[in-house]
Amino acid sequence: MALKGLDIFKLSPKKNCKECGSPTCMAFCMKVAQGAVSIDKCPYFSDEAKATLNEQTAPPMKTITVGDHKLGGETVLYRHEKTLVNKNLFAVALSTAMTDAEVDAKLAEVAKVDYERIGERMYVEFLFLRNAGTDAAAYTKLVQKAAATGLCLVLECWDVECAKAALAVAGKNVILDGATPANWEAMNEAATAAGVTLGVWAENLSDLYDTVKNLEAKGNKNLVLDVTGKTAKETLANAVLVRRTALKDGDRSFGYPSIVNLAAIAQGDDRLQTAYATAFVEKYGSIIVMENMTYAQALPLYGLRQNIFTDPQKPMKVESKIYPLNGADENSPCALTVDFALTYFLVSGELERSNEPVNLIITDASGMSVLTAWAAGKFSSSTVKKTFQDLDIENKIKNRTLIIPGKVAVMKGEIQEKLPGWNVVVAPAEAVQLPKYMKDKEYEAAAKAAAAEAAAKAAAAPVEEVKELSFDELLATKVPAIEVVDMGVKYKGHNPESKTFVTIGERIHCISPAIRKAMDERDPAPILKRAAEQIAAGATYLDVNIGPAEKDGPERMMWAVKLLQENFNNVPLALDTANKKAIEAGIKVYNRTNGKPIVNSADAGSRISNIDLAAANDAICIALCSADGIAKDNDERMKHCHDMLERGLSLGMTSDDLWFDPLFLVVKGMQDKQMDVLNAIKMFADEGLKSTGGLSNNSNGAPKNVRPIMDSALVAMAMMQGLTSAIVNPCDLRLMETIKSCDIFKNHVLYSDSYLDL
Amino acid sequence: MAFTPKTAPYSGKINAVTLGTGDKAVVIGGQNVMPFYTFDAPIENAPKIGVEISDLAAQWDVPALKEFYAGCTTMADYAKKAETMPGVDFLCLHFESADPNGANRSVADCVADAKAVAEAVSMPIVILGCKNLEKDGELFSKIAEALQGKNILVMSAKNEDYKTVGASVVLAYGQKVGAETADDINLAKQLNIMLKGLSIAPESIVMNVGTAAVGYGFEYVASTLDRVRMAALAQSDADLQMPIVSPVSPDTWSVKESTASEEDEPAWGCREERGIEMEVSTAAANLIGGADAVIMRHPAAIATIKKFITELV
Repeated sequence: MALKGLDIFKLSPKKNCKECGSPTCMAFCMKVAQGAVSIDKCPYFSDEAKATLNEQTAPPMKTITVGDHKLGGETVLYRHEKTLVNKNLFAVALSTAMTDAEVDAKLAEVAKVDYERIGERMYVEFLFLRNAGTDAAAYTKLVQKAAATGLCLVLECWDVECAKAALAVAGKNVILDGATPANWEAMNEAATAAGVTLGVWAENLSDLYDTVKNLEAKGNKNLVLDVTGKTAKETLANAVLVRRTALKDGDRSFGYPSIVNLAAIAQGDDRLQTAYATAFVEKYGSIIVMENMTYAQALPLYGLRQNIFTDPQKPMKVESKIYPLNGADENSPCALTVDFALTYFLVSGELERSNEPVNLIITDASGMSVLTAWAAGKFSSSTVKKTFQDLDIENKIKNRTLIIPGKVAVMKGEIQEKLPGWNVVVAPAEAVQLPKYMKDKEYEAAAKAAAAEAAAKAAAAPVEEVKELSFDELLATKVPAIEVVDMGVKYKGHNPESKTFVTIGERIHCISPAIRKAMDERDPAPILKRAAEQIAAGATYLDVNIGPAEKDGPERMMWAVKLLQENFNNVPLALDTANKKAIEAGIKVYNRTNGKPIVNSADAGSRISNIDLAAANDAICIALCSADGIAKDNDERMKHCHDMLERGLSLGMTSDDLWFDPLFLVVKGMQDKQMDVLNAIKMFADEGLKSTGGLSNNSNGAPKNVRPIMDSALVAMAMMQGLTSAIVNPCDLRLMETIKSCDIFKNHVLYSDSYLDL
Repeated sequence: MAFTPKTAPYSGKINAVTLGTGDKAVVIGGQNVMPFYTFDAPIENAPKIGVEISDLAAQWDVPALKEFYAGCTTMADYAKKAETMPGVDFLCLHFESADPNGANRSVADCVADAKAVAEAVSMPIVILGCKNLEKDGELFSKIAEALQGKNILVMSAKNEDYKTVGASVVLAYGQKVGAETADDINLAKQLNIMLKGLSIAPESIVMNVGTAAVGYGFEYVASTLDRVRMAALAQSDADLQMPIVSPVSPDTWSVKESTASEEDEPAWGCREERGIEMEVSTAAANLIGGADAVIMRHPAAIATIKKFITELV
């Protein structure tokens, strides 16, 4: 939690001596709150006050490290609020009351459960060692045996002498779960001397709280809280109250990870322990202690944990590789899909139901679903080819049938070209149709047809040697001449120096089948029609999305740019495609009379080099403040913003040419985060930066009559925060009128009764 | 300095919906705190457990489950036996075989089964369909008609068919209806608003806000449950205060963890135990998220979840 300036002011010396360079203590404290200056600039802030401030700015819950594991560090109670960060860890209990043979058997059982699930190793991370008596020798023997496994240890031991003896042989990756209201001083010394984390337990929360306060007063904040009560009910209450007190009420004395010992509260009942463990995976058990961890228990519990601890803003991905299903071998056909975990589960599940051997090939698509990945250029014939090379599929698999998702049937031709020798066939559009499709072997006939087609093609025209043409050559040979048609609309011009809001018309986009077809066929009419509508409605810029355009991007973009600019008085354009060569080509033929071209878009991840492209071509660049998936908070958004800003500036761009996009969210689903986006815009504006964004994403999925209302309300709020541009549908009259009105209020345009008509 | 936790019930409250009639009637919902947060306020009405009886139950092949229903042939046999299962509050008749892409059993046959069950048992009855919109529409209407006066719950009305299902099941025949959505809180709210718009009383509506087995995208279910419950309690959103009934067993018994044979997965051990634990964990995850009732299958899993509820309430 960031501190407010006034909170700091309360602790300040209030001398107004100006030695820090600020006119007043109040002004200084405001700057400190913004992070603009360090508090050390003030020579008179007392150490005590600084310590209080440090305390107040510290995270609400400590992150405790044991071995390679991190515990705690959570900032929210529910994963949808932001994300949960450190997954629960599991422990299996051993005790000095067990015989040697029992201990050995249990250790052998524990070692058996060790497997991988979606890129994560699943195993028992801790051994929980209960000291049932006061025999130091017996306990030391148990600890030694457990330490030999290399697993981390929780020593449940309330006897100081036994604890000291055990610590001597336990190694470093240990929690001494031994402090109580009675023995905390001695246990604290033992744990501190050994350099290990101390666990604290008490009969009730009040005593637990006091004991933690005592330990903190002694300087020990390397703690975990054993919240195990006499019953499951009491344990759940303790776990929730401790976490809630820390995160909601901001009391850091309960801001420590927890231990819940289910072996104690549901002794002898594995199934009941599974049920309880399930509850504590969601409700705040940092280390969950079980009597056993069989596969039957591990499969659901680790699966659930993996689900709950995925970042809600980052899709769960599976590894890109060949998954042989139903006993597939090198002679089985291949099916292809993306790495989004839900897609994988759905597709592999249905393929398994078919009982037909098939090699499922997963290609890296940044965890997006099939259509989203395709639209973003993350699932294309090139990415598929790269996967085939990376995984060495040519050599690993002899069968040459490749089944691609029905949703991207359009890619069939391109993939066929990029993977010569393979017979590409298109699966049904829905996964539920797969079992029948596979059982009936529908793909065989299609593969034969694909092979015949390829053979016919090869026979008809021997493959032309591909020669890379220069842009000038392409322009001369591949770009049709532009015919200027009178659409009855004239672009009225744009002054790049003007402060008025810049609208970028989004309607020329390849996701529309009519535009895609027009682009493919170089048919000007549908494109000119949409351009004319948007210009008539008052768009400042037009976005030109030519799709992934892997094959003929440069000539496509050159044609589109010339078509639009020659017909509409050099209307300024945003060039929108994943194909960099195409953007470069478009800029080559671009006329700058009404403003620089915009590169749409770069991000702080794999597309950061589009900033270089913009810098090299003196273009504006839309900079998405994200890397992989949506930023989880404004700290992350601003980090991406600053990374991209730094890169642009180092390449000689001016900050005005980077338009930062905070990524507007869909209200249906993420309404609780939209204020973050608006606040990010304010942060950009406070730093003097320009901003833009796909505003209408806001109302995605809302009824048609509601969308203009939602979008215009949002644009007004966003302009208040300092938004300088947006990618919009200019044909939305309500939205455009709202923008014009806001430009009046912001004093960018002088009011006249007819301002809406201008 | 003694520590005093801040505890308080919410101003919002989950609707109490009654299913069935007579001594065996059950009330679902009714609390005003997050699931099992007894320290905030007592849970007046503990979550309930329904037992799933499928018209394909003869195909259930795990030994203990088979043994429990040994000798049962008709759905009424299964239902009578299920009523004796410890921990069970209501019966859930799952008409899987009505699916036109499967066995395509006639609506008349299904209705006859439902009637026979209703005559043989006294526990409340919940109906699960075959997931084919058209067939379910007819099936739900005919069963609701045949079982008039029994106060049954029909799962479910969806965005696509809420008008016909709501009108026949609730308005014409006076039964209860489940509003089904898939991990979409906005649609869950909208569907309740639309059902209320048909003049259906809120006390006649329960929700199924999405299901999955743990490990299979359960994070979407978990977050939807969290958000629905927070909206109902903290924001007092009357359009999300319907109690939640989660069908658990149809998902958990069809994932690999429960279906893979011991030959195929030798390391995993006993298949039936895997199925039970999968069902236990998924039911517990639904309950800790806010489900007011879960629909389950295996007697051992039900016994465990019954204990779980009893201990935590």
